[in-house]
This record gives sequence, C-alpha cells and structure tokens, in this order.
Amino acid sequence: MFESAFCQIVFYIFALLAAGCALGVVISRNPVTSAMNMALCFGFVAAIFFGLGAQFLGIVQLIVYAGAILVLFLFVTMMLDIKAEEKPASRNCWLPSAPALGAVLIGTVFFGLVSNLSLALPGAQDSGCPAKALCSSIGELALSPTAAPAAEAPAAARFGGALPKLDPAAAARALKPGISPEEAAAATSYPDVKLLAQCLYTRYNIAFVILGFALLAGTVGATALARRIRKN
Amino acid sequence: MDAICNWCDALLSNPIWFYLITTVLKLVLMFAVILAFVVISVWIERRVAGWIQDRPGPNRAGLPLFLLQRFGSKEKQPLKELLHFFGIPEGSCIAKLCQWLRFDREIPFFGLIQPCLDGGKLFLKQELTPSYVRKAYFIVAPMLVLGPPMVAAAVIPFASSVETAYGSISMCVANLGIGPLWVFAISGLSVYGLTLAGWASNSKYPFIGGMRATAQLISYEVAMGLSVIPLFMMFGTLNLQEIVQAQAANGWTLLPLWGEGLSPQRWALMLPLLISFLVFVTCVFAEANRTPFDMAECETDLVGGYHTEYSSMKFASFFMGEYAAMVIGSAIVVTLFLGGWSIGFGADAALAGICPWLAVCCQFAMFILKLLAFIFFFVWVRWTLPRFRWDQVMKLGWLVFLELTVANIFLTAAVLYFVK
Repeated sequence: MFESAFCQIVFYIFALLAAGCALGVVISRNPVTSAMNMALCFGFVAAIFFGLGAQFLGIVQLIVYAGAILVLFLFVTMMLDIKAEEKPASRNCWLPSAPALGAVLIGTVFFGLVSNLSLALPGAQDSGCPAKALCSSIGELALSPTAAPAAEAPAAARFGGALPKLDPAAAARALKPGISPEEAAAATSYPDVKLLAQCLYTRYNIAFVILGFALLAGTVGATALARRIRKN
Repeated sequence: MDAICNWCDALLSNPIWFYLITTVLKLVLMFAVILAFVVISVWIERRVAGWIQDRPGPNRAGLPLFLLQRFGSKEKQPLKELLHFFGIPEGSCIAKLCQWLRFDREIPFFGLIQPCLDGGKLFLKQELTPSYVRKAYFIVAPMLVLGPPMVAAAVIPFASSVETAYGSISMCVANLGIGPLWVFAISGLSVYGLTLAGWASNSKYPFIGGMRATAQLISYEVAMGLSVIPLFMMFGTLNLQEIVQAQAANGWTLLPLWGEGLSPQRWALMLPLLISFLVFVTCVFAEANRTPFDMAECETDLVGGYHTEYSSMKFASFFMGEYAAMVIGSAIVVTLFLGGWSIGFGADAALAGICPWLAVCCQFAMFILKLLAFIFFFVWVRWTLPRFRWDQVMKLGWLVFLELTVANIFLTAAVLYFVK
C-alpha cells in the first residue's frame, strides 16, 4: 500500500517535471537552453522508468539520449550564432494557423489515449510480448488476481485485452525453473535485462537485425556525404 | 536507558526505517570516503610527481631545524641530543633510520603542508566572473563536473553483505541490477559541465577545450562500454555486488587462482579479459581527462582549456571533479577486474565464518588499499607518458579500440562456446 502510493506520487512528480522541461524546450529562444531543457527532460523520463522498475530502459535512456545524442546536439547548437537565433522570428502567413494545428495535435493524442489505442501497439496481442509470454509459460501464476477483465471495453478486447501485470516472483520463476517458492516470493526486482534480451533476440530478432542494418546504412550514407573525395 | 533501547529496537524492526537508516549511514560513509580520497589523491599526486621527476620539494619540505636556532633554541643538533637522552648509540639502526628520514635537519611533514596551503589559497583567491560570460551556465558548469562522480559512486560495493538481527545489509548504497551501466551513464553526464564551461566562457580557447572534451568523452564512452561486455558474458550478471562475490569465490578476474577459477575455460578467457582490461583502463584515463588524454586542458595549445576564465573555488571544483572521476574510475576498475573488496585466496569465507563484522572491516580495508594502489598507478602513468596529439587520440579511440573491443566480444563468445 505504502509502496504503491509512494511510486504513484514519484511518478506524477517526475511526469510533471518532464512535461515542464519539454515545454521549456519549445518556449526558450536560446537554443542551448532548449538543449539543456531536453537533457533534463530525458533525465526525468529515465527517472520515471526507474520508478516503474525498468532500470535497464532508464539507464539506456541516460546513456544513449542524455549522454551521447544530446551532447552532439549541444555540440552543433553551440556553433550557431546565438544572438541571431534569439531574435523574434519574422511573421509569416502560416503563423495564425499554429494554435489551431497545436490544438488538433493535442486533441488527437488525447483521443488516442481515451480510446485505448495504446493497446494496438504491435505485439500487445501476440505471445511475443514479455508480459504475455511470461503468463503463457507459467499459466495463471503471473496474472495478478485484480487484473480479471470483467467489463473491458470492446476496443481493448479487439486488440488483445489489457496487458497482465508483471510481478517479480513470476519473473523469477520463469527464468529459473528450479527456484523454490520462498526464494521466488522474496524476489523484489525484475531481471529486466534478461526479459528484454529474451524478447528482443528471439521473438523480434529479425526486426532487430533489420533495424541495425537500417542504422548502418544511415551511417554509411552520412559518411559518404560528409567525405570529400580527393582527386589525384 | 531501557526505553531508548526498546525504541531503537522497534525502529530498526520496521523494514522501511531499517532500510532508510542503513542507506543513510552507507551514503555518509561513501561520501566521506570519496571526499577524503579527492584530497588524498592530490597529496599522492604531488608526492609521486616529486618522486618521479626527482624534485625534492613535495617530499622533503619540512620545517628546517635551523629555524629553531633563530627562535632561541640553544641546541645545535637536536637529534643528537635526543638520541643521547634516550641512550641510543649513534651508529645504531635507529639512528641511521632517523638520519635517512632527515630528522637531523628538519621536522618532517610528509608533504602535507602543501595541499593545506593550496586549499587555503584557492579559498582566499579573488572570485572573478568576467563580464562577457553567460552567467547562469558559467556558474552551473563546475557543479555539473563535480556532481556526477559523487552520484556514480552509489553502486560500488565496498564490502560484502552482513546479516544482522533486523535484516541483511548489502554494503553498497544502491544494489542495482545494472551497476556498471549506472556508473557509465552518470559519469558520462559530466561532459555537460565541460562543454557548458567552454561555451559559457564566451572566449575562443575555452570553447575549443569544451569541444575537445565533448568529442573525446563520446568517442571513448563507446569503447568503454564495449570493452567490458566480455566480462559480463563471463559473469552472466550486471550486478556489481554479485560480480565481486563471484570473484571472491572463484578468483579475481585477472588472478583466477582459487575456487573454480582454475578451469581450462577460465584460463582460455584470460586473453580476452586482458584485452578488455587494457582497453577499459585506457578509456578510464580518457574519461577522467587525465594526461596522456588531457586534450581539453592542453595548456600548450589552449592556454588553459575550458577553465581558462575560471578562478578561485570554481576553478578548484573542476579539479576536484577530475580527481573524483579518477577515484570512481579506479574504484570501478578495481571492482570489475581486481576483485573489488575480496581479500582473495578463500580468506573471505574463512573470515566471515569467524565474525561477519570482522570480515566486513577487513574487506573494506582491502578495498581502500586496492583503490590507493590503483590511484598510485593513475598518477604514475600521468607523470610518465607525454600527452597525445589530438588526431592520435581520435584515431586510437575510433580506429583501434572500437575494432579491438568488437573483435574481443566475438573472441570471448567463441571461447565460452568451444572451450569447456
């Protein structure tokens, strides 16, 4: 009871801070301030991941986005002429339509949330999803008793139903078949690195490799564009 | 008295309070160790530098005894008088030892006066903020350099866990399942401090220094992360406490001489592990921005690098950050490759059998000892090797280390698969 309430409070604090920083990225005129706000935003998102028990995702968020990509952003922004960037933008004919576009965007996002579109994510309905796979491999054990879908919305049913809740004991049992019930019950954290790796390198292996090749192609392309070919 | 005991008992029996109290105690200990080590490593640096460069200053500067004569002491040779007083003959071992320690000429301070005066000087210097800097970032930058290493230390285990009447205490502040990644992520964030310092100074040379720091840290972070993957493949876990426990039971990573460490597979793994050790240590040097990789503060081409415009304590906090990063780098190398807190040769289990708290104290002392030894190594390298050229640094990072570490991962996988 205490733990769940605490987690919720922490989640909402970090979510608010992340949203505030995201707003700061858009509002601030100085590009370096924008970039720093974005770094803070990534940090808070990582904190949310930590709060949810997904430590690995949180740390990857920090290493990859805050530690590498955003530093490169900063690297480029610092080369800009800050004084010219800070001047108010010239008015053009598209400016009046900006609030309307923004409203449409936010409305769409909220509509998506309300209609439970998040369950239409690929994988939510097939057995490759780690939560789902865990349940099917060890039966009903992983299903928390409260998650019984009594009156689910039809949209949810169409997209495979609400995702079952992961619990550490079930995860421990799934990874180590010979574990004693007491030890499994004592598990407090998910072996999230292993769960993620199993999911990524078995079920989604081909997609993962294709993505790797796409990134490689991007890198090669960028190098080819940036490299001046010397004649002689 | 009984009431106090009962109250403490009740407080500690509550798991949440027990967790909070032990965590705060561990946090305080960890902070104290790091701050003390920042000071100690400056002291080590001065003395070792003096020793390597054959400069008597830091090692010999004591209070010369002829000063005593100026202040009215009648005795010409206090040491002789003293030896005579205790009845020690002049040619004896003790007298020779005293002579070797130069007690006959001065009262030694072991070079401790210099760091003290240094600290005082930095505190008392004029704090000057140039008018053309970007104020907010200029002030935040030194904090961003000093902060991350302190936070990164949270996952480093400094002793084994101990069972008490109220529950088990694991002797590291946060026993995360992603220990080393946490250290890489958080210490990687200190790059913001260097970059922003360079940019906020609004001056050409600091800017180039900041840019160099960014490029270097990003390049070496890649090789650093890849170089330790063979280690994780061998241990099968990312939890630092578990890694050290495995090393205590089965031999340190680089010294598999007891337990199950004597298997053929483990010996075959020595080559990839040695490669990972060399690459990782080099990357730690680069991440800590120390010579031979201190491109960001290379005074021959950049005046002073990213901290040219800084003065007084802001300047000092950059250096405290550098030394803190060096301490954390040493701690992670010791933890991953040199057995962390483990005493080795099965002594951990034996000591834990006698008294768990004794084992914890010995392990903590062992960890500190290893840390000191590695910091000495750090300083040794700094005063031995000359600085690289900038293009050499980039070449080493991208063309040598990246390929070498990727090949090393495949080599490790092959050994794990084929050699049983």
